[in-house]
Amino acid sequence: MFRFLKIESFKLFYKLKSWLGPMLIMILVLTAFPLSIDISQFDLEKFYFSIIVVSLLMTSFLATEGMFEEDFEDGSLEQEFLVEQDFYKIVLSKIFVYVCFIGVPIAFIGAIFSFANGVAIGSFMNVFFLLSLSNLLLFNLFAFGNALSINKGAMLGVLTTLPLALPVIILLGTAIRSIQYEDGFLEISSLMIGVGFLISAIMPLIISTALKTHID
Amino acid sequence: MKLISAQNISYKINEKKLFHNLSFEVFSGEGLHIKGGNGSGKSTLIKILLGITSITKGSIEYSNKDLKISYLGHKNAIKHYLTPSQNLHLLFDDATLSNAFEWLEKLDLFQMQDELTANLSFGQQKKLALIRVLAQSPELIVLDEPFVGLDHAASDLLNNFFTQKLSEGTGIILTSHIHPSFECQVIALGERNV
Repeated sequence: MFRFLKIESFKLFYKLKSWLGPMLIMILVLTAFPLSIDISQFDLEKFYFSIIVVSLLMTSFLATEGMFEEDFEDGSLEQEFLVEQDFYKIVLSKIFVYVCFIGVPIAFIGAIFSFANGVAIGSFMNVFFLLSLSNLLLFNLFAFGNALSINKGAMLGVLTTLPLALPVIILLGTAIRSIQYEDGFLEISSLMIGVGFLISAIMPLIISTALKTHID
Repeated sequence: MKLISAQNISYKINEKKLFHNLSFEVFSGEGLHIKGGNGSGKSTLIKILLGITSITKGSIEYSNKDLKISYLGHKNAIKHYLTPSQNLHLLFDDATLSNAFEWLEKLDLFQMQDELTANLSFGQQKKLALIRVLAQSPELIVLDEPFVGLDHAASDLLNNFFTQKLSEGTGIILTSHIHPSFECQVIALGERNV
């Protein structure tokens, strides 16, 4: 497992566009939105979270675009299959590395922007935590989409799994309201942690089977 | 020692039989050359032997569950956005890394170790990919068209490597349109096998 984590971190570190691109887009959207409206007419702090959520969805969608496609195209998946006989550990490591290298920084950017747009400074850690958890869920879902259509352009599969991300968005919206109204944050974050654990354990199994079907 | 044994294996795709009731065995220090025209099923047979593709009928047995196999298929399994040096760091652990760099030198790639792999020629990329096999000590080597893209010097080096490995007791299975320089069993895939 440690070998896979090392390999995936090494690969992602040198794939600049894969991790820098989503972060830049996140910053761009979050900066451009307040600039594009007349801020004085709106109570920005009330709806700015919605923009963060949509940006999060968009950037995680982009970040997972070529997650397995590259390894499939260059034959690395076949090589790993020979060693491990399944893809569970590889998928688990890949998602973990993507969440750490891309998901967490994106969540951090989102939390900084929410703070800069009027959210109480005391809520910073709560927002960061929620956005990171949401990214964990979204990355798992989009990784599944990526694996589904790996030989037909991975974006197609990611698009088909987009509806699966809607419950995550609803959950995140509820969690954010719990921060805004300081009510039920613990309950909703516990629910998200539970769902996160379940998805992180089950989704790599499903993705592993999908990848095996593709190389067969 | 018997490394791999295939008994009456058949494979069909879209109702077209690629091969039917094929049986063979590969022992330590023995070579197997799979030949045939384009689309005759050479690569498929290799993938079947490795367990990547499932057979329609028959069985494949390995000498032991943990048989050490080195494989290089049509795809090079190297990262184009990394340098050859970084690719080797990705592929090898500390114990085998120095051996991999020795092969980099033997294959005239040492001076290009810090170039981007995407900028290397097809043949140079093929050589880099072959180091995956050359720098390891497996019990069985499986290669799909290893000579494609190689110059004469690299082909000779590869043939010498095969001869040396066979004498050390390693089994070799390869597909190729040209006959390798070492003595080996030959399986010809094509119309007659169907």
